[in-house]
Amino acid sequence: MAVSATYLSNPAIKINGIDLTNQATNAVVNYVAEQLENTTFSNTSRTFTSGLFSNTITVTLYQSYAVGETEASIYNLVGSTCDVIVATTTAALTTPTATAPKYELVGAYLSSHTPINSSLGELSTIDLTFSGGVLTKSVA
Amino acid sequence: MYTIISPRLGTPGEQFIPTDGTNIVALLEGGLISTDTPKKSSKVKSEPKEQ
Repeated sequence: MAVSATYLSNPAIKINGIDLTNQATNAVVNYVAEQLENTTFSNTSRTFTSGLFSNTITVTLYQSYAVGETEASIYNLVGSTCDVIVATTTAALTTPTATAPKYELVGAYLSSHTPINSSLGELSTIDLTFSGGVLTKSVA
Repeated sequence: MYTIISPRLGTPGEQFIPTDGTNIVALLEGGLISTDTPKKSSKVKSEPKEQ
């Protein structure tokens, strides 16, 4: 029996303050603490402790070269940092709750972008990975 | 001061107040905001009258 099921029905995404929700089709927030081994001869199993955090947010957006759309929003971010927000609902952007949290990666670095990523007969999309930065979760 | 151009940032024409992590350069180069430049006075000084 399934315990719970969550699907994103109307999530929201802001990149560098720009609301790109209606261009987004996928978002993944990775909250990662690097593991450092601290096993000693006195242990019979390996043990670990937390190292640096290495967070990422990956998003998939429809590409658009129109004024103020995806390309204008993303192209100039390559090689620099910005803040990225992913909220589980549109309302959670301004008023997150315990059941509709908001995640913000502050100071995330964008290393690459694919301005052209097209196939015949398909809508063009771009995949972006924002790395590093401090991840905060807001529930109120 | 900056002015919003793109509706994705807010209401176009309103003042844009960046937060700490905002990448202003990217927004300016992407044409999403503009820099307000102080307007010069439109008054033209008249020539002094000869006495």
